Formats: sequence, structure tokens, C-alpha cells
Amino acid sequence: MSFLGKLLFKNKTQDIVSGNSDSGLIKGDELKRSVDGIFGRSLFVRLVDSGSCNACENELAALSNPYYDLERFGIKFVASPKHADVIIITGCLTRNMLNPLLKTFEFVPEPKFVITAGDCPETGGPFKDSYAVCGPVSKYLKVTMHIKGCPPEPEAIISGFLRFMDMLKTSKI
Amino acid sequence: MDKIMTSKHIIKSSDFIKLANNIKESGRYLLGIVANDERSINSKFNIRYFFGGKNIIDEYSIPVDENFQSVSKICPAAKMYEREINDLFGLTPLGHPDLRPLMLYPENWDFSVHPLRKDYDNLIPEFKKYGDYKYKEVSGEGIFEVLVGPVHAGIIEPGHFRFSLAGEPVLQLEIRHFWKHKGIEKICEGKDFNEALNLISRVSGDNNVNIAVSYLEAVENLLNVEVSERAKHIRVILAELERIWNYVRDIAWIFMDIGFALPAQNLFALQEELMRLNKSLTGHRFMFNALVPCGVSVDFDSSKLFMVDNIIKKVEKAIKECEAFILNSSTVLDRLEFTGKINKKTAEELSLCGISARASGLPRDSRVEFPYLIYEKFNLKPVLRESGDVFARTALRIKEILLSVKIVGGLLFNLPEGEIISLCENRVEAYKYAVGNAETPRGNAFFYIMADDGGKIFRLKYIDPSFRIWPSIQYGVLGNIIADFPLINKSLNLSYSGNDM
Repeated sequence: MSFLGKLLFKNKTQDIVSGNSDSGLIKGDELKRSVDGIFGRSLFVRLVDSGSCNACENELAALSNPYYDLERFGIKFVASPKHADVIIITGCLTRNMLNPLLKTFEFVPEPKFVITAGDCPETGGPFKDSYAVCGPVSKYLKVTMHIKGCPPEPEAIISGFLRFMDMLKTSKI
Repeated sequence: MDKIMTSKHIIKSSDFIKLANNIKESGRYLLGIVANDERSINSKFNIRYFFGGKNIIDEYSIPVDENFQSVSKICPAAKMYEREINDLFGLTPLGHPDLRPLMLYPENWDFSVHPLRKDYDNLIPEFKKYGDYKYKEVSGEGIFEVLVGPVHAGIIEPGHFRFSLAGEPVLQLEIRHFWKHKGIEKICEGKDFNEALNLISRVSGDNNVNIAVSYLEAVENLLNVEVSERAKHIRVILAELERIWNYVRDIAWIFMDIGFALPAQNLFALQEELMRLNKSLTGHRFMFNALVPCGVSVDFDSSKLFMVDNIIKKVEKAIKECEAFILNSSTVLDRLEFTGKINKKTAEELSLCGISARASGLPRDSRVEFPYLIYEKFNLKPVLRESGDVFARTALRIKEILLSVKIVGGLLFNLPEGEIISLCENRVEAYKYAVGNAETPRGNAFFYIMADDGGKIFRLKYIDPSFRIWPSIQYGVLGNIIADFPLINKSLNLSYSGNDM
């Protein structure tokens, strides 16, 4: 059975950035060293969607595919906020999601950091004038870093994590 | 659009109830219910019921003052629409079995404020608790509840699920959605067609091309403009590519949920390649903004065409292997067969569309029923399965990927020459409206757009396939064990964002 028999992604894990495989892997290695140093080899991340169009979630899920395989750099998406160091927020923050978001944040143990992914949580995006939206996120939570993009590509999210590590190292937070 | 017969009837609310039974027996199904505040035009609200059939759209228009007769008991599919109208317009459907608020949560919204009324003053109620939401209760010895969400464990969207169980089997599932209600219909009002397209693309990001196709069908109908043959061909190629990458991802998740990581990861890798292809073709991994009113914003040259050709051949090969793998593996079949069965009768009553309808034996495919762009010339037949279970939906996706590959492959090297954007300076007649249909990977996307006297949007209503299909999960899980719920959910793979709007 060739579908199971072969590893389609034999060399793919090197290929983080399309076209230029070296720079991607350098980023990855750098990321792994920082995560090893600062978070004792693993950074746990919890995602909360506060009202996105689902494109951002798709890109965050793509980080686990064989091309990026974020876990090998020590970054893991976890199921419970109680396990997390960082919460990543996507979406424009609707009124209906405000309480679930704040509750989730409450359960993250200290020290904790908020990263937003996409343009919506930063500015409200195209939905900012709606009666049903109460964002941006920074009105309610202290945001350490915004990752821009609509949606941010997986590579941009990896670069975002690198920037976050740099901020921690130089203690700009 | 010329091939589709549309008939319009204006009718009184009390008479419509009598008619509803006949409509149901004629085999037409509910495409959508659209309420509109037309008090500035004819001093009434108007509620329009759209029923679809092969090449036919029937419209029943009911002028309304304060309340109207609910048809939910005759046509259960109307239930959610009527609750929505009750929320957003404050028009009460009389005799409705369940009038709890839908998207305006009593936990933060004053229910006397109805944001889609034209006299809504844009004042947002203070954020405080105005009331409670009453969940359904199941009681009896040994019955317990499992609450899931709104924030889920995986990288997915928020929604609240309440299971009532007796032992292992699910007795009842209650879904509470609209956590992501963004009020998109309201923001679209007063915008021009270009600005609104930007919002429409973000209704449900992974289906944005097909949703935009439906939107532009309505807009171009209003503007009375015909896009060039080349633009039509490119739209179809992009729409089918979107279908392919969506289905590849869906099948990957089904494998993931039954614990077959290797085929799953192979398909995720394939999905990544398809998304990189999207980026090479349109500059965006989800193909946002590839479609514009009166045409497309991207053109194909021979190098792009070869890229597409290469990848779809690869997809075809992988998917055929995948099909053989499923059919030859008893452990896979054991998880997929008889799981999450949605009966044909349920599918009919709920007016399902897309994969969910076709897996239960209903021949509903907008590409066939309301042929748009150039779909008519392919002579498509809806691919059907009868069993309505997870296996049927998986098998259908495989067949439809192969169908899409065939469609794209046939178009690639036969692209007609011409402009990709047609000139359009037409003005829209005041208060004229049009509807649009397209088949997204999840099912029929329906648009109703009415223009105002300045050529801007007066009312825009979008009905996502997910909005129609979500209630069917409540029937699909009955008698299944709770551990199979993620699998059933993934086999339908509905959008929360498109549903919540």
C-alpha cells in the first residue's frame, strides 16, 4: 500500500519557507534555542478564537502540518488554559465572546502573556464598527505582541514567536 | 441566471400557512427566509420565503407589521430563520415553538433593541446581564450532562454543545451557537458593492471564493452586466481549487479523528501544497480578493496553468490511493460506517444542502440546480450516496475531488481569450433586488441583495450552508457514543463563522 508505505514528507520538514528552505530552518533552530533557554524546553500555547473568519485558525492549524511541524521547536498547542504560558487570540472580539475570553485568560497561570494573531484582534478589522463587536482585544487585556496579517501566514507566525522570544530575552516586557 | 425560472407571489401571512403544505409536497425546499425593513418604501416590513427546486426559485413575499404566522411546525427548516427575525427585527413569529434569543444574548444585550430595523439609532446597550438563557432539560434516573465549549480544546472556533447521556449513548444534544456573531449584514448596509465584497470574503475565510461567486452573481444581476468568458472560466477554476483544498483537509481531519496519523499527515502536506499553489496563482493563500465585481483580478499565463496541472494530477493520484486505503481497511470502515447517520427524511425536513444532503440521498447541488457561470456545459450530475453516515460523506468528498480535478483539468488549456474585467458603469435601479446562488464546499450559499436609491446596499442577507446544516447534527448524534461526536462533526465540517455571521 504505497499511500501508507511511503513518507510523503521525507524531506519536507526542512522546507518551511517555500522556495528558500535554508532561512526557514535557521529560524526554526533559533526558535528552538530560545524556547529551550527561556521556557525550559517547551512553550505551551492556548488558542482562543474571539470572532474570526476561520482563516486564522486554518493557518494556526497548518503549523502542525509536516512542512512546519512547530512542535519540534518546542512550541505546543495545549487543550487547557491551565497548561498554557501564552494565549493566542484571533478574531475581532465579539460581545458574545468577551466573557468566555476573559474566563479563559483567568485560568492561565502566572506568568502569562497574550499574543494576538491577525489584523482583527489588533484593530477590529473590517468588523470594528459593528454593534456586535466590542474589540479590539487591547481594551480588555494587556497584549504583549501583535502578529499582523489577514490571515498571518504560518511563516509570519513563526517569525512572530521569534520576536516574542527576543522581547523576553531583552526583557522589554 | 436566465435559465432559472423565478416566480414571485405576494401573499398574506395567514394564507401562506395554508400554502406551506402544498409547497412542501411539491418537493421544493427552503432556500432561505429574508426579512427586510421596507417601511421607508411601502410602510411595511417584508418577509420573503425562497424555495428552490431544479431550475426554479419560488419567492413568497409577505408584508408584515408587527408579527407573522410561524411556519416552523410545517417546515422545521424555518425554525432558525424565524428566531433570527425575532432577534434582529423584533417581528414575532406567532406559534413558534421556541422563541429564545438566538444571536443577541440576554447575557449582554437588551432585547428591546433590534439592530436591523432601519430606525435603530446605533446606540449599543450597556454591557450587563439582562436575563438568562434557558437550556433544555432532560431529567430521569441515571441521566447526566456533558457540557462542551464555547472554548474548545483544539484549534477550532467557539460553540457550545450540551450532551444529555444515559450510559454511553447520546439522548439529546443541544447546540448553542452565535458566539461569533459579528453583525456583518448590518455593516454591509450603506456600503458599495466593492466595499461589501471585502466583508463578504471574511464571512467564512476558507470558503471565500465560492461565497464571493454567489455574491457577485447577485451583484452582477443587479448591475445587469455579463462578465467575460475568460473571467467566468477563471472563476470556475479558482472555485474548484478551493473545493479541492477544502475536501483534502476535511478527509485529513477525518483520518486524524480515527487515529490514522500517517494518511492524515500526508493529506495535510497535500493541503499545504494546494495553499501554496493558491498563493502562486493569486498572491494569497486563501485567494482573498481574487474576484472583483464584473470580473477577476488575476489572470493566468502558461506557467501558472502548468503549475495547476501538475498539482491536480498529484491530487488525483493521492486521492485514489486514499480511496483504496479506506475501502481495504476494516478498522477504518468500522469507525466510519453507520456513525452519525442523518436520515433522508430528516435531511428533507431540515432542507439540507451540499454534502450533507447528497450523502443522505437528496440530489442537491447548486451547480446542477441553479447553473451559474459555465457549469451548465459540464452536464454535471449530483454525486449521491444513500446511507447518510460518516462513510457516505467521506466517500462523497473523494468522488467530488475527482470530479473537480476533471473540471479544472478540462478548462486549463481551453481558456478563451479576452479581458478579465468587463466595463461596467450601469446604475442600479432604486430598491431593486436580486438573489445569488453558488455551491461552496459546504453547500448552497444564498445571497439576497437590495440596492438603495444611491446604488449602495440597502439590505444584504447571506445564508450560509452551515446555518441550514448545524441543526442536523443534533439528529445525527442520537444513539451514538459521545466519543464519536468529533468524528461526526468533522465529517460535516461546518463553519461557525458563516453560521454566526
